[in-house]
Amino acid sequence: MANSPLVVPGSGEKSTANRTKLSNTAAASNGATPEASNTSNEGGHDLAEQMNEEEKQKYVKGKKLGEGTYANVYLGHLRSDPSKLVAIKKIKIQKEYTEGMAPDAVRELKHLQEISHPNIISLLSVFSSKDQNLNLVLEYLPLGDLEMLIKDVEGVRYGAADIKAWMGMLTRAIWFCHENFILHRDIKPNNLLIAADGEVKLADFGLARSFSDPYRIMTSNVITRWYRPPELLFGAKHYSGAVDIWSVGLVFAELVMRIPYIAGDTEVHQINLICQAVGTPNEENWPGVSKLPEYTVPEPPTPVRLRDHYLSLFGTAGPEGVDLLMKMLILDPRRRITAREALQHGWWAADPVPTKKQDLPRNSGGDAKIGEDLKRRPGVLDDERGAKVARKLDFTAVR
Amino acid sequence: MMRNGASKAIDNNPSDDICPVCKSNRYLNPSLQFLINPECYHKMCSTCVDRIFTSGPASCPVPYCGKTLRKKGFHKAFFGDLKVEREVDIRKRVGAVFNRRQDEFETLLDWNNYLEEVEGLIFDLVEGTKEEKLKAEERLKAYRESNMGDIEENRRAGLEQIEMEKQREKAEKEAVRQRRLAALREEEEEKLDVARSKRDVLERLANTDEDANKITQQAQKIILKKSSARRTLAESVESNGRARDSGLTIRGLKKKEAPIAEKPYDPFGGVDLTPSRYVLQEDYDNEWLSNAKSDTRHMAGGYSLQEYYARTLFEAFSGLGVFIEDEVAGRSLPAAPASIGTAAAAEASAAKVNIEYKMELDDVF
Repeated sequence: MANSPLVVPGSGEKSTANRTKLSNTAAASNGATPEASNTSNEGGHDLAEQMNEEEKQKYVKGKKLGEGTYANVYLGHLRSDPSKLVAIKKIKIQKEYTEGMAPDAVRELKHLQEISHPNIISLLSVFSSKDQNLNLVLEYLPLGDLEMLIKDVEGVRYGAADIKAWMGMLTRAIWFCHENFILHRDIKPNNLLIAADGEVKLADFGLARSFSDPYRIMTSNVITRWYRPPELLFGAKHYSGAVDIWSVGLVFAELVMRIPYIAGDTEVHQINLICQAVGTPNEENWPGVSKLPEYTVPEPPTPVRLRDHYLSLFGTAGPEGVDLLMKMLILDPRRRITAREALQHGWWAADPVPTKKQDLPRNSGGDAKIGEDLKRRPGVLDDERGAKVARKLDFTAVR
Repeated sequence: MMRNGASKAIDNNPSDDICPVCKSNRYLNPSLQFLINPECYHKMCSTCVDRIFTSGPASCPVPYCGKTLRKKGFHKAFFGDLKVEREVDIRKRVGAVFNRRQDEFETLLDWNNYLEEVEGLIFDLVEGTKEEKLKAEERLKAYRESNMGDIEENRRAGLEQIEMEKQREKAEKEAVRQRRLAALREEEEEKLDVARSKRDVLERLANTDEDANKITQQAQKIILKKSSARRTLAESVESNGRARDSGLTIRGLKKKEAPIAEKPYDPFGGVDLTPSRYVLQEDYDNEWLSNAKSDTRHMAGGYSLQEYYARTLFEAFSGLGVFIEDEVAGRSLPAAPASIGTAAAAEASAAKVNIEYKMELDDVF
């Protein structure tokens, strides 16, 4: 626009005159263009920007609940009704992804906007604020998460009925994801947030993706290590909803024991612990496992653990509960129970009846915790639970 | 009806001194005691009752009565006036059946109507003619049969309330006792205080050479201040105690909610996602998939072709049965506030078709 054909190389004086003239015209034209667009749509915004502004105006951002490397979380409310609280997750611009949006945010957006279920955090809206920061407006879940309850051994007591109620909600959530062809890939207690009415809601879809086509490879570097199934530790590039079920099984075990059941320091350590706790995977109990890219198992092999072993550890869940847990922790992902089958299991009908959600034990974790939970980068343990973990997703391999 | 303090009328009324059956009187038999039977309320002395009814049920000895009475039914009359005695008995009987409480009624009018109806029934039973009595009896019976459960529940609630009342009374008594003790203690303290300050004043008068008048005035002031402070303290304690008491009564009155019949636990949470337009097969023969099927590296990681089949079929059918006109019509409703909370989510997830249309973010971005 600034390049004018009037510029002619010549004498100094002429060129200065020309330059001034040029800058004048440039200024004029600069002024003229926006004016022209002003008349066509107000405020200098195009339609998309207008709609974004409208969406943004619906919410009032309040105090900051938490700040992390990946996102900041704010308490907010509807402008039209201040009693309707929301959590606004503002994704930070990340160094690695200066061009466009962070993939975590894209994943979260893409999948959360598709599904609506009582046990899955609902995405109410999305808008971008200044500097093109992405803001996800999420349901406000004030009662902390399951990890808090599990860890607060002194303050919170719960029983088999409560565990069943929580597991029911979690299994329903993951069943709903799978029925809608979404793999969550980061199930762990601190991604299970608790709503004001006691309902557990699956959150953090930063690692979620849809089921893959048969020849499209997926990254095996997903799911927080302690909850990562053996097939991912062995580097499988094609997997199914069974990966989530393994995580669900470990959450179940953790709910009963109140400590993480298989908590490895490194991936190799994690494999070793799985071998000890569940059994060593081999061609016999898992045909084809030795063909997986990173298949290594410790010597000597441990035979697959039998029912008695689980009964001694998880007896409080009852025989039916132990049966379901064993089926969730089957090494071979093809034989592992699916979410739908898990919901058809006899445990739900067995005694005790699951606690009603309003009677579930709770802990006034409050605002700080939802901030803590939402700002976390997906797939990693927070603070002291996994300070040594360094993890970077290799997104070049996926999609 | 207050029942404390038995009526003394029996002793004073001269007509009450002669048994209408055997004509023996109090002069000859000082231990004369009259009994009645709620079947007919005819009075007779205990000797007559023993004489006539010990060998089993017999008819009433009063002329033209002829009701069959049993010895078990006889008891001492509580009221001198047997009419009153009878009415009270009837009230008791009806009250045990019509035992609804006010908080079961929607409005005060309903409650009053109910009370009036019950009162009418009682009047029929007490003062009515023979037919009216029979009719009222019939109604009472019918009501008892049709409201068995409610009656039992209210009876229990009534017992509970009595228990509560007792507890409250006990708590009140205890509070009174505490207050009295506190008052005594306070008095004692005050006396001690006065004595102490007197001693102080005397000491100061003895040891310093200040103006004697000033010192005594100051001491007086201190005593006054202390006692007033104590009074306010006592008052605040008392008010606390009262608040607690009233809390207790409110709890006693709280309405008991009827337990809702429990539905069996549904692990699926009432959501059914079975596809309605097609039936998913176990396996599909497709050349394109055969490579993956036979590759162990592919399958050992748990890759599930069933998931792929399900998704493909779902996607193939997912546009069907969606009517954009209906969607657009629904869109004009305010959507944002309704989509907060689980209720809306549950609603949305109830129907499969709704799932994909929760938000219109596609329009924004």
